[in-house]
Amino acid sequence: MDILRIENLSKSFGKHQVIDGISMSIPEGSVFGFIGENGAGKTTTMKMALGLLSPDAGEIFVLEEKVRFGMTKTNRHVGYLPDVPQFYPFMRPREYLRFCGEIVGLSPAQITRRSQELLDLVGLGETNKRIGTFSRGMKQRLGVAQALINSPKLLICDEPTSALDPVGRKEVLDILRQISSTTTVIFSTHVLSDVERICDRAAVLHQGHIVLEGTLSELKDRHGSSGLAVEFSHPSDTHRFCELVPQRLIAQRTETEVTLSTTDEADERRVLKLLAKHDILPVKFEAIAPSVENLYLEAVS
Amino acid sequence: MRTYLAFCKKEFQENWRTYRLLSMIAVFVALGIMNPLTAKLIPTLLNGMDMGGVILEMPDPVALDSWAQYFSNISQLGMLALIIVFCGLTANEFAKGTLINVLTKGLTRHTVILAKFTVASLIWTLSYLIAFGVTWAYTIYFWGYETLPHIVVTFISPWVFGLLMIGCLMLGGIAMSGIYGALLAAGGVVIVLNLLNLSPAVHRYNPVTLAGGTYGLLAGTSTPGDFIPALWICAGATVAIVVGCVLTFDRKQL
Repeated sequence: MDILRIENLSKSFGKHQVIDGISMSIPEGSVFGFIGENGAGKTTTMKMALGLLSPDAGEIFVLEEKVRFGMTKTNRHVGYLPDVPQFYPFMRPREYLRFCGEIVGLSPAQITRRSQELLDLVGLGETNKRIGTFSRGMKQRLGVAQALINSPKLLICDEPTSALDPVGRKEVLDILRQISSTTTVIFSTHVLSDVERICDRAAVLHQGHIVLEGTLSELKDRHGSSGLAVEFSHPSDTHRFCELVPQRLIAQRTETEVTLSTTDEADERRVLKLLAKHDILPVKFEAIAPSVENLYLEAVS
Repeated sequence: MRTYLAFCKKEFQENWRTYRLLSMIAVFVALGIMNPLTAKLIPTLLNGMDMGGVILEMPDPVALDSWAQYFSNISQLGMLALIIVFCGLTANEFAKGTLINVLTKGLTRHTVILAKFTVASLIWTLSYLIAFGVTWAYTIYFWGYETLPHIVVTFISPWVFGLLMIGCLMLGGIAMSGIYGALLAAGGVVIVLNLLNLSPAVHRYNPVTLAGGTYGLLAGTSTPGDFIPALWICAGATVAIVVGCVLTFDRKQL
């Protein structure tokens, strides 16, 4: 079943059309990367899925239940981590989770148990100072904890790593990966290496449209390899090879290694035939898998 | 009810830990002490001043002077303290985005409004009662016990006007998502009501007369009937504003 389904969703602010008739579906159990440049409309889409913004057109369903603006019952299945989660600075982490637990209707015993589990998960189990004194990374980790208090089936994270240093980023990504066995995770980002690191599905939002969507392996297959790395044992072989191969394909060259930029499989077959025909034996012939960055740049160009 | 109580608890904790509750109590205790003390000391101070040969014949202060100070201070310093302490009541939540986490957990928007209004009103009530109690106690101490005529209408009126101010601060904060919006709403209402009061025909119906005007009931220059219509209008307006807060917040995109 799809945990989230979006149909023909549109939203504009004044004359600015932010989202223009997008549709997509996210199956349960995935870690979904929602990619787009700053201002692409990722946050707007997520806020509509949470009932915080009202769409101009289109519908959103969480577990086949329609999302309604304002007070939406679908949020009982959802946890939300805003890009910069804001807390009451006068509270301590355990007090904040207690407050959240009371709102979602957990019993005092459940709140105590769940708070401890979550604070341990995000590495704040021993922290008892007021949230006002927290670093950004600590707030982000507490943000993950509060989003998971009701054991949601879907966790929506809005750029959870964009404001963090490398250590903080790794910590948050590790937490997301850890919970993905029990919770579907959607996270928006413009940090493509994060998508590569933990996502199994992704969609690219560009100028209000979904320009790419699918599993990462599907997307990479669909777009073939983005190049070849060919290595020779002698510089003379490298030299001969470079004279024979079409110059447009050569992206980079060293003494013994040539990186080719190929556009399709036909190019790659041609290179292979060329090597055989002229009896040049490479020590390495490797297809370079396209990175999410290549896919993204291709999709938005 | 569960979420309402949870949010009320959070509001109390916030008011306690951010010293808003203490500030209100401190200001209103000070007001309570100031009223009889000022009434008692002003004649002595004026008599002791060199007036350049002019001799001021100040009558001996009476209990009524203490109550005159009470109504003057409550309608000015008291209301100012109320506005300063509660101007961020809703505005801060919107400016900082702290409601997003809890609203996406199923907390209804009207619960937020009702809980905030409840807690702010309780703090206002407590502060007001403290100022009243301290003034009364010191007045009795200085001048002895005297029955206060029309005590309910006299003293409930500034309190109801305070509730109206809390409602205005909340509505302004929601509609304009900031402290300036809250101040603009409360200040705007006070200015408009004061301008309306330029016409004597409006006095009976104008909520702003409740802020300090009921002193006339103690002095014997007014009757309760002079304030009852304004009291009803003020209470009705407060309810309407709280409903307005709920409706505005329900339509607000976050």
